[in-house]
Amino acid sequence: MPKVKENVRENAKERKERFNLKKELRLAPGYIILLIWVIFTFVLIGWVFAASFSTTKEIFNGEALKFKSGLHFENYIKAWTSQNVSVFFTNSLIYSTISCVLLILVCAPAAYVLSRFDFIANKLIQTSFVASMGVPVIMVILPLFSIIAKLDILNHVMANRITLILLYVGINVPYTTIFLLTYFSNISSSYEQAAAIDGCGPMKTFWLIMFPMANSGVITVTIFNFINVWNEYFMSLIFANSNQLRPVAVGLYSMINSMKYTGDWAGMFASVIIVFLPTFIIYLFLSKRIITGLTGGIKG
Amino acid sequence: MKKNKTMIVCFLTPALLFFISIFVYPICRTLIMSFFKIEGITDSVSKWSFVGLDNYIKLIKTSLFATSMWNLFRIWFLGGLLVMALALLFAVIITSGIRFKEFFRSVIYLPNIISAVALATMWLQYVYNPRFGLLTNIFKTLRLNKLAAIQWTDNEHKFWALLFAYCFGMVGYHMLIFVSGIERISPEYYEAATIDGANKIKQFRYVTLPLLRGVFKTNVTMWSVTSAGFFVWSQLFSTVTADTRTITPMVYMYMQIFGAGNTITERNAGLGATVGVILSIFVVLIFTICNRFIKDDDLEF
Repeated sequence: MPKVKENVRENAKERKERFNLKKELRLAPGYIILLIWVIFTFVLIGWVFAASFSTTKEIFNGEALKFKSGLHFENYIKAWTSQNVSVFFTNSLIYSTISCVLLILVCAPAAYVLSRFDFIANKLIQTSFVASMGVPVIMVILPLFSIIAKLDILNHVMANRITLILLYVGINVPYTTIFLLTYFSNISSSYEQAAAIDGCGPMKTFWLIMFPMANSGVITVTIFNFINVWNEYFMSLIFANSNQLRPVAVGLYSMINSMKYTGDWAGMFASVIIVFLPTFIIYLFLSKRIITGLTGGIKG
Repeated sequence: MKKNKTMIVCFLTPALLFFISIFVYPICRTLIMSFFKIEGITDSVSKWSFVGLDNYIKLIKTSLFATSMWNLFRIWFLGGLLVMALALLFAVIITSGIRFKEFFRSVIYLPNIISAVALATMWLQYVYNPRFGLLTNIFKTLRLNKLAAIQWTDNEHKFWALLFAYCFGMVGYHMLIFVSGIERISPEYYEAATIDGANKIKQFRYVTLPLLRGVFKTNVTMWSVTSAGFFVWSQLFSTVTADTRTITPMVYMYMQIFGAGNTITERNAGLGATVGVILSIFVVLIFTICNRFIKDDDLEF
């Protein structure tokens, strides 16, 4: 199988090296279709980015791209300070980071055990994890809400924060575990055997030898988890009750609504960009890893 | 071996605890709730009253819920056709040996990593804006004044505006799945087909498509799962609560349980649970149908 892949890649490389006008012309319709789509994407994001440095008046006059009155960084400053964006941003950063770390601590050992040991429930656990990825959130939200409301968690800031993080972790446990499982099953078991002969206990072996060997999988899945938690909306909407607790996605929604009334369009676009930037920057540097990670686990 | 046992238990317990408390227990409880009338969502089980299938019957008879299901069906079916067609087209182009393949692929996938709220706002406040929006400007430059005057987010056009904006964001993900499927097809098949005199279109029809069956299944399943949870886009495109043009079951359930009391007369958390169960049944149904009709490839490739 991998050989075939290599062949394809080599062929692709060969093709790349020679510039063949006839071939390029034949591909022209393809280029045009993709270019239209790509240009549209750039215009969409680029315009919003430009408008975030403009003023509401200029935007409404259709002059957002002319910057007649210069660049207005104050849109960002205003959104950041007066519109709670700083609070939402910090919240999201805290939620995403802690959730990602917890997810690895919880899922990596589980994935390892599931990939290595044969026990009765192994297959059952794996199948239920996979199946749970297809369950709509709406199926789990009501009982969770009733428990959390009953425990009076929604009125205590710290408890509410911790609950949110635990929810983000829980929702992503099946995906993370299954993702890491494939990584661990690709590592040869001869390493553990060697470690066992040297007298290293199995748990120690895992943390000192196996876990570092799977680091590429760990990093990829952490990127996914970060983006997922950062963009998570529905659960945050229900379980983050006050502005003090809201992550960016929900915060942005309430901000957009209020800015429509105050008519601060430039400020609204600035807030959109602030929410968009972190995941965008991650993507800018790691798009290749994200794309290969995404398609790696998919089987035809 | 005994050592291993303790290790298995230690390593699995945290993940299983999370799984049981966030998936297994809530799913079972939601299922049970759907057969009960529950006044307040936090009511203890002793206050629930068993009503059998009443919740299901009531929901089916509620016109707002029926509308929401119809909307979701249109999003799933029409949006699905559009997204799959575009995703497959892009995937075929990207694997046809073009230059800048990586670049095109990453840009097309880009919308998927943007927060749905941010992306929907970009569409709503820029592309569809009647005063300074992209569409208005394009049609104005083309002197198509009739088209330029369309209010894209009014009641008449809202659903389609929502559908296109949503699909734009979804194409990239499904394209990646198609690309990985096409790349796994051995080039020998194409070589053989070329020798036999099949042109590119025939090759696509008789080699690529049949070998992508499994990938199609993955794509349809993923599309159905994400569609079932359709919520953010609907909420952002609705100007009033219970907007019949854009409401989806998830929004209906949210209104039913968590607010907007004026549109829904009866307070019954059981109904909300029933919405969840009905959606899950549809996901399972689609999955089963896919498995029945799209046989797994017995071909090795």
